[in-house]
Amino acid sequence: MKKHLERQSGVQSVDVSLIDGKVAIIPKEDGRIDPPQLLKAVYDSGVSVAEMVVTVRGKVVKDASGNLAIQVEPDQSFTIAPNELSKELESIASAQTVATVRGQLYKKAAGKKKLDLSVPLKLLILLLAFGLDNSIEVTSGLVLL
Amino acid sequence: MDTRVALLLLLGFTLAPVTPAQIKHMEMRVEGMT
Repeated sequence: MKKHLERQSGVQSVDVSLIDGKVAIIPKEDGRIDPPQLLKAVYDSGVSVAEMVVTVRGKVVKDASGNLAIQVEPDQSFTIAPNELSKELESIASAQTVATVRGQLYKKAAGKKKLDLSVPLKLLILLLAFGLDNSIEVTSGLVLL
Repeated sequence: MDTRVALLLLLGFTLAPVTPAQIKHMEMRVEGMT
């Protein structure tokens, strides 16, 4: 699975922990990774994904349907699932403020074994930060703002 | 605007760390791994 993931577009490195079943993916600095493609790559390796969490940086915008989204590339954005933290972003969406967001992009539905990508992935915000150089650092399970 | 202030602002924008928008990190919890 590690080698299969490392061959995917935009992936710099993959770190697999057999003890707790966690897979950390570091994207290339100038690369673009596609979360659904990586989910599929894991399932193709015979392993199922219970949860996917991403840290993304981008402009907070409203998409064509009026949904709140974070745009990470000119042609790549993630619709934000509504929760308490997303309410904070509602007021700044028109200003296209840059934010760094850590959120859950995929969670396996209970009782389902197969990957279902028919429904677009939505980002459920767990943590957020604003500004030019604000960052969310993930170190050994600790999340620092 | 004072020239020195304008120069400082210009220098600040030039040196400010601008991190590009992108996916910074991804983590998955997987099942069935042996």
